[in-house]
Amino acid sequence: FRFKDSLAEDLRRADLVISHAGAGSCLETLEEGKPLIVVINEKLMNNHQLELAKQLHRDGHVLYCNCSTLVETLQSMDLSTLKPFPPGQPEKFALFLDKAVGFE
Amino acid sequence: GGHTTEILRLLSCLSESYSPRHYILADSDKMSEAKIRSFEQKRAETFSNSQFTLDRIPRSREVRQSWTSSMVTTLYSILYSLPLTYKLKPDLILCNGPGTCVPVCISALLLGLLGLKRAIIVYVESICRVETLSLSGKILYYFSDYFIVQWPALKEKYPKSVFLGRIV
Repeated sequence: FRFKDSLAEDLRRADLVISHAGAGSCLETLEEGKPLIVVINEKLMNNHQLELAKQLHRDGHVLYCNCSTLVETLQSMDLSTLKPFPPGQPEKFALFLDKAVGFE
Repeated sequence: GGHTTEILRLLSCLSESYSPRHYILADSDKMSEAKIRSFEQKRAETFSNSQFTLDRIPRSREVRQSWTSSMVTTLYSILYSLPLTYKLKPDLILCNGPGTCVPVCISALLLGLLGLKRAIIVYVESICRVETLSLSGKILYYFSDYFIVQWPALKEKYPKSVFLGRIV
């Protein structure tokens, strides 16, 4: 997988995704509408990377565990508790920028 | 990769008034060029006069590079960016956090101070930044005209920032 250009195809065919806490992985998965379990590697703890995963978990969009609790999580998970992830709104940015630079 | 994806999403809803677009990449970046060309190609299908350029500058800092050596490499990148920024004379600089943006913005600020060209600097912090700012963000918070964050905790910590919700 390290050498694939895009995981988009695999993502579309998946029913469940188990991923590290990288933002790209999390967001792409959520945007595809797939249930996601984020596995935190405490030894590689890059605090900045965890911020997004933690927030997504707080907002109910992902399940969260570490390597040792993964099996347990898979056995007891209830994916119906996951909330859908609304898309971002670049139109809001465009509106803001138009005003800021004086194009109105 | 993440920064490029985000910035292209930010560009997706902008009108053709934001043209020509000049992309500046780090010399070591291998993936962004293809994404940018693909984006611009699609754009050219809708807007016939769509124009863009692509330039590369030396990467100002590798991840986890030490402070002292980062100062040297960043300074080198700033000096390298000056003639490029002078040539492009941008009206607006849009950036979202890779180290590459700091030398470009600083060179634009210098050009402004010298009375040669004043650019509006708009910084959008990455969606990954929920509670803390990136290093580029911490620097450009003070030097940008508009500093946009995507999570409310950052708006609280950085009151001069703009919060529009998730925009990518």
